[in-house]
Amino acid sequence: MTTYITKRLAVSLVTLWGVTLVVFGLIQLLPGDPARVIAGPLAGSAEVDRIRTQMGLDEALHVQYGLFVGRLVRGDLGVSARTRRPVSYEVGARLPRTLQLAAVATLLGSAGGILLGVVAARRRGTWIDNSLSVISVAGVSMPVYWLGLLLIILFAVNLGWFPAAGADRPTSIVLPALTLAAFSVALIARMTRSSMLEVLEADYVRTARAKGVIERNVVYKHALRNGFIPVLTVIGIQFGTLLGGAVLTESVFAWPGIGRLLVDSIFSRDFPTVQGIIVVYALLFIVVNLVVDVLYALVNPRIQY
Amino acid sequence: MDRSTTPSRRLRWARLLALLLGALLVLAACAPDDEVAEPEDPDVVDEPDEVDEPEEVDEPEEVDEPDDPTTFRVAVGVDLDTLDPVGQTTTTVANMVDYTVETLTRIDEEGAVLPNLASDWEVSDDGLTYTFELEQGVEFHDGEPFNAEAVATTFDRILDEDVTVPIRAPYEQVESVEALDEHTVEITLSEPFAPFLAGLSFSASAIVSPASIEGDAYLEYTEPVGTGPYTFADYSPGERFVVEKFDNYWGEEPHYDTVEFQIVPEAATRVSLVRAGQVDMIILPPVSDLPALEDDPEVEVLMAPGNRTIFIAINNEIIDDERVRQAMNYAVDKEAIIERVLFGAADPVDAPMHESLFGHCAVGGYEYDPDRARELLDEAGVDELEVSFIAPTGRYIQDFEVAQAISGFLEEVGISAPVETMDWPTYLANINVPTEEQGADMHLLGWAPSYMDSFQHMLVFQTDQQPPAGLATAHYSNPEVDDLLAQAATEVDESAREDLYCEASEIVMEEAPWIFLHSQSFPIVYRAGLEGITYRPNESFYAVYAQPAE
Repeated sequence: MTTYITKRLAVSLVTLWGVTLVVFGLIQLLPGDPARVIAGPLAGSAEVDRIRTQMGLDEALHVQYGLFVGRLVRGDLGVSARTRRPVSYEVGARLPRTLQLAAVATLLGSAGGILLGVVAARRRGTWIDNSLSVISVAGVSMPVYWLGLLLIILFAVNLGWFPAAGADRPTSIVLPALTLAAFSVALIARMTRSSMLEVLEADYVRTARAKGVIERNVVYKHALRNGFIPVLTVIGIQFGTLLGGAVLTESVFAWPGIGRLLVDSIFSRDFPTVQGIIVVYALLFIVVNLVVDVLYALVNPRIQY
Repeated sequence: MDRSTTPSRRLRWARLLALLLGALLVLAACAPDDEVAEPEDPDVVDEPDEVDEPEEVDEPEEVDEPDDPTTFRVAVGVDLDTLDPVGQTTTTVANMVDYTVETLTRIDEEGAVLPNLASDWEVSDDGLTYTFELEQGVEFHDGEPFNAEAVATTFDRILDEDVTVPIRAPYEQVESVEALDEHTVEITLSEPFAPFLAGLSFSASAIVSPASIEGDAYLEYTEPVGTGPYTFADYSPGERFVVEKFDNYWGEEPHYDTVEFQIVPEAATRVSLVRAGQVDMIILPPVSDLPALEDDPEVEVLMAPGNRTIFIAINNEIIDDERVRQAMNYAVDKEAIIERVLFGAADPVDAPMHESLFGHCAVGGYEYDPDRARELLDEAGVDELEVSFIAPTGRYIQDFEVAQAISGFLEEVGISAPVETMDWPTYLANINVPTEEQGADMHLLGWAPSYMDSFQHMLVFQTDQQPPAGLATAHYSNPEVDDLLAQAATEVDESAREDLYCEASEIVMEEAPWIFLHSQSFPIVYRAGLEGITYRPNESFYAVYAQPAE
């Protein structure tokens, strides 16, 4: 296991280097002059030129890339072109919020999704199963923007149970987490259902039933344990995706997370911030994948690395 | 769906379920919440940066009440890119920073320039020397006295090339700033610059405490220390900006102890916040919500007039026949656009610039007259005209929708102008270039000067401001207009100056380098039962003296 993790970490470094190259390259392809965007339409061209120099945009590309990677190695993400604050500060202010929201949404989504998925698998072909299928299709395809606004109108404006937006109260997280969870619930429920259907047909389940284990234990102890592995993958990917920031949900609920920062930074051509966020995001994704791999082994001891 | 049901039966099922969908979804999403959300909550409370409110057990009913009568909450759409007054480029950001800092002059609701930190001034006949009497007994938030020395120190920094001042233009003529005595300061210009006093009302020239710009803060100014009615208290990126009442403020004392600006990028969410009573005031709701908000007894809508002129810049080097450009103006029903596309959140324009600017005079415009448009096109010998047309999305109120409407109107007189959109930086890169590189024959733009004078506004008609030097993206060029504008920039006599702008406006309107559209309003929505909320015509709210109605 330790060798495996060490090997994985080494590979991760190469991945990270690839990420820096790709993000740097892609940014160069974006149209628009970052200095002009940052200075604003009313600024004079002399000011724009000064800002360009300040941002180092007049250097040759390979020099710019070298400086970027050089700083990165020292753990320095650079300074935001738009706010002139360190990128680590900008990211640091938002990352805990994003982690919170992703964690709560993933928990809600997994709990709801697994429960619904198991129920659907057990009641396969009945009206319960059918309605759950329709619900999951709707959950996956419903635009979060619209769902978010509906939740706000119902729970914040009409009922007044939760804050409509912001992150300043303990209950602020409820509506954005629910919005995000709606998608995960649907996805995880579908995954759980198909995985469980497969497992419930397996020989060992038939054996368990034959030896007289009560149905509840057959499903939740014997079957779910094995059926859970593909579901775990989906949950891991979901969590990873949410860490990257749920841009629309964050915008609708004014949740000060990293997704919004990324989009704002792209639209203002704030290259250092975009690069910084993507590197941090890549790091997180690598860590989450590693954790999921380790969890496989814990859930199913037969899996060896 | 693997059970053998007939297709029609399945279809019926699907329909029934689809009907129940909305309700079921909410229930499905809700059910696990009660069990799972609870154990998570302590996590949220544990957040070290959430110490300001000890209410850990949240009473749901509290959300409805404004929980703190001493706090005034405002939801705005943009985050603050910088708290440094000299770095300001966005009106709403400057609007928030202005709670903490003040300028020598200020503007009123009509856009007139009034005394502020400077109580009085004298301008020499040659327009080069400005002598300001400063307000006495004024203190900075850090306890330092406000005096002539502070003004001089502030201006040294504004003029320092090492400091990033995107909108330095209004102060570039300043040659020296000298403290004559404790409360008198003399500013000398290198050449006459008539809009100087108006320029001094812009946040970039706000006077800050000399002590606060020492050391690292000189280049990285993160906590504004001014003389304003509120002191800077807290800023969380992407979340909020908080100011607290300054006890030693020299002017009238505001009502609220704390003003909290929440950053809420989604306009529809801002509306929900003010309707739920979670904030006291918002700006810029979606205009399609305006009719409903106007009917809502719980909120008031203030449709503040704004100085942002929206227009279609026609590339005058490509469409060089003024009859064609005039035809385009006649072809578009501006009133219908204001009413139906903008839900009334705009005013028609009668000049190239908004009426709140110094130098505005009504020179009329183009009535909606498609027949006249067709005549003019005939005269110009234009039969079928195809032009490329671009517009931004979300930069101005209903910008892309307005452009689509215009495209429709042009189609009716035989001009094919399908409209395309793109993100703002790409857009700028398409228009802010010489004609041969321009991405389209015409484009939609909004133009609002940072201070209330025609000088900055009319730059877009000056030949020497054509891209890349400036944003004169219509590539309009008329030596006579250039000459009039150059004179107006330095003319010290106010009425002579007004005449110069009038004359230039008439020529510009006649030659139609733009399709003249409207000036967009700045809708403000606040809770009923509040008073003292007003505006400045530069797309700003003025709510320092907001208070519950008696």
